[in-house]
Amino acid sequence: MSKSYFDETHCAFGHPKSTFMQWMLTIDHKRIGIMYAVVMFTFFFVAVAAALTMRFELFAPGQQFIDAHTFNQAFTLHGVVMVFLFIIPGIPAVFGNIVMPLMIGAKDVSFPRLNWFTFWLYIVGCLVALSSLFNFSIADGSLVFNFADTGWTFYAPYSLNTDTNVVTTLVAAFILGMASILTGLNFLVTIHRLRAPGMDFFKMPLFVWGIYATAWIQLLATPVVGITLVLALLEKYFGIGIFDPAKGGDPVLFQHLFWIYSHPAVYLMILPAFGIMSEIIPAFSRREIFGYRTIALSSAAIAGVGYLVWGHHLFTSGMSDIAKVMFSFLTFFVAIPTGIKFYDWIATMYKGKIVLDTPMLWALGTIITFAIGGLSGVTIAMVGSDIHLQDTYYTIAHFHYAMLGGVVFLFFAGIHYWFPLVFGKMYSEVQAKLAFYVLFIGFNFLWFPMFIAGYLGMPRRYFDYLPEFQIYHQISFWGAIIFVTGLIYMFYVLIQGMRNGKPTTPNPWNATTLEWHLPSSPPPLENHTKVPYVDFRPYEYHHGQPVVKFDENMKRID
Amino acid sequence: MANHTTVDYKAEKGGYYKVLVGLLLLTALTFIQPSMFLTDITFGIQMLIGTVKAWIILMYYMHLKGEKLIGWTVVFAVFIVVFFFTIVIIDVSNFQYADVSHITSPAK
Amino acid sequence: MAHDSHDSHEYVPEIAVDRNGKEHVVQGWQGDFDGAKLGFWLFMLTEVLMFGAMFMTLTYYFTLHHADFIHASSELDRTLGGINTVVLLFSALTMGLGLLKMRSGDVKGAKLMIWATILLALVFLGVKALEWTNDYNEGIFLGLETMQAGGGKSFGEILFFGMYFTMTGLHGFHIIIGIGLMLWLLKRINSKKVSPEHHILHFNIALYWDLVHLIWVFVFPYFYMTGAGAIHG
Repeated sequence: MSKSYFDETHCAFGHPKSTFMQWMLTIDHKRIGIMYAVVMFTFFFVAVAAALTMRFELFAPGQQFIDAHTFNQAFTLHGVVMVFLFIIPGIPAVFGNIVMPLMIGAKDVSFPRLNWFTFWLYIVGCLVALSSLFNFSIADGSLVFNFADTGWTFYAPYSLNTDTNVVTTLVAAFILGMASILTGLNFLVTIHRLRAPGMDFFKMPLFVWGIYATAWIQLLATPVVGITLVLALLEKYFGIGIFDPAKGGDPVLFQHLFWIYSHPAVYLMILPAFGIMSEIIPAFSRREIFGYRTIALSSAAIAGVGYLVWGHHLFTSGMSDIAKVMFSFLTFFVAIPTGIKFYDWIATMYKGKIVLDTPMLWALGTIITFAIGGLSGVTIAMVGSDIHLQDTYYTIAHFHYAMLGGVVFLFFAGIHYWFPLVFGKMYSEVQAKLAFYVLFIGFNFLWFPMFIAGYLGMPRRYFDYLPEFQIYHQISFWGAIIFVTGLIYMFYVLIQGMRNGKPTTPNPWNATTLEWHLPSSPPPLENHTKVPYVDFRPYEYHHGQPVVKFDENMKRID
Repeated sequence: MANHTTVDYKAEKGGYYKVLVGLLLLTALTFIQPSMFLTDITFGIQMLIGTVKAWIILMYYMHLKGEKLIGWTVVFAVFIVVFFFTIVIIDVSNFQYADVSHITSPAK
Repeated sequence: MAHDSHDSHEYVPEIAVDRNGKEHVVQGWQGDFDGAKLGFWLFMLTEVLMFGAMFMTLTYYFTLHHADFIHASSELDRTLGGINTVVLLFSALTMGLGLLKMRSGDVKGAKLMIWATILLALVFLGVKALEWTNDYNEGIFLGLETMQAGGGKSFGEILFFGMYFTMTGLHGFHIIIGIGLMLWLLKRINSKKVSPEHHILHFNIALYWDLVHLIWVFVFPYFYMTGAGAIHG
């Protein structure tokens, strides 16, 4: 049995003997990706717990379990952890690290030591973010937390005036932003420099295109929010008046600067997820992807247009009318490349030999949920219905359909797809499919009622509500219970598969891209035995069978 | 991309001095302009001189000349910054509530 | 990026063979000059975006508080600011000549030029400190009573000076980082890690220094010269 990357590694410095230190100091992109995944999903469950607490509280009108102030902190915790700790680094940090270098035939990313440093920067950011969770006191026999209560958006002037610990959260967001920038930089250079000979940009797998477009957003949007948070800190301590209207500042400027980053960040989340979709659909339809170039270029187009639409977050906070019309118009443009992708995926499946394995199920489920999420987004962006729908549960439902039903579902799809590659073992297909159905049903019960509640006027972030909304909150509650059950079950199945799943071959799905042509599973330390010469398209199938085959020295033998 | 190769110091240093002289002249221009000419649009002229200086530094000191890929990345980044500027300034110069705003004048 | 002495890191050039038997060199991540250069340029773009966002904030308030900004700008010390501009200009020259010397094989001359750049950077910081001290004595500094709302200054002036200290402060911070980088570079040259054949670190630090200069090219006229025409008693 040959050695895999679990057995040996390169370290940032020194040659530690202990397995633990080898993991801590590793510069191997596969190991770093796995560590990201472990940390991220730990925090994911923290945020899920916060959300579930809110659902319990909202089961009936009035106060039951937590008071209004704690409720504010709960949704801030949920937002900060989900956005900054989980979903923004999310797919790029995990699969961008593990799979992207394999897909382009590289031995590692361009700057492996920087990659290691970035991971630890991310950890520092996480610790700073959560440090204020442990800053609590006991008053009148109950716990009083000091976590920020501003929501994850830190809108001025409230974030400048609140007594809670908003500083640590701001600093953490800044550090995590730096980690995100460095990840993007590393991937951009890797994709430009380390592609296997012969692989031009239009021979790259589409996941790599997704990562490439994402990396540009990470690189060019994150600095803006970074400096905004610094300005907010300076404002808080020196009273310059940049964002505080009582001192001559304009709070809307804060929102401009914040969303200049945070809106592209939405595409930063979804583009690599679309990349995963573009991998799974051809592999499980056993058919070459339809419209390769349009999918690749629409990734770039979404990233490009994504920079120009931040203003639709400001419709309710006072913008000039001309800017409103411009932003509404620009926002519609994003729907075009997104629509192109969806039609391409569906056209790929047409007359394909569809295999309904777990990754494909997740991808198909996402087509449904993301279509709802995406199209409801267009209704919110429209001048006319925007004021009615923004800041209501309708918006909450919209972005959970898009983010959870789009990004996280595809993240799960990717986990099921690349699981045998990473661990060399297989989970139980039957159980994994069951987990999908439970999650899919729970998901729709949880969020669909919110569309209706929001349309009828239930505002977001409220601790209390009128009795007529109770029915929607209760359906959501039971949906949440089903959803969390499914979540726990899914991770149970995966962990079982990791521990005592059946060993697999290097290419269990009959997929075509380079990461499935590794000599062994799990892959060895330095990936492919030899770097192949790439003179083929990434998804070549003939009569449902992969066209391109390699011998053990990565020479083509078909 | 010929930056790997060794260079002849004597042959190349002349270029650096020429650029220095150019930049010094532009700096002098920066100083005399507000009191000499086009004083109505000082801000615009100053930014224009700054842009010219930046262009020279980018092209000659930072060797951007002849760098295709890096050149385009710079263009892309600058375009985005300019776009942010344009939109935000359009928004603020169409500010509709100046009369009732506390932002433009202190609260009474 | 830097090489490691550990054997397994040593890059063995690899060849990929296509179906016609033609050989293609594979680019590895080790010793990739163009990759390191591209990476550093991308990093500099993030700096451009960061300062770009600050300039945008500044312009936003310049539009809102036009007269206040011009008045406040006329109060800054143009002599000291001008001296610093020229100092930085010469430091960019020494940095560039140092890199030229390094590439032409004159390591000793290159080190001398780096020291000259460090010296000029220190002069810049010294002048900056003097200028800030003068401002402080006139009641213009972050956090002072006179710089709060209701302390005698208009909103626009407070914003102008607040942004002035923020941006020149952040620029000064970059100068300090630059000095640190140059000292590190000297150490790497002394230990032969940076040589005429492997000068990517020197190349990138020279780029960084030019970027710091570039930012000042805009910071200086924006703050100091905008109000230079205004008559001020």
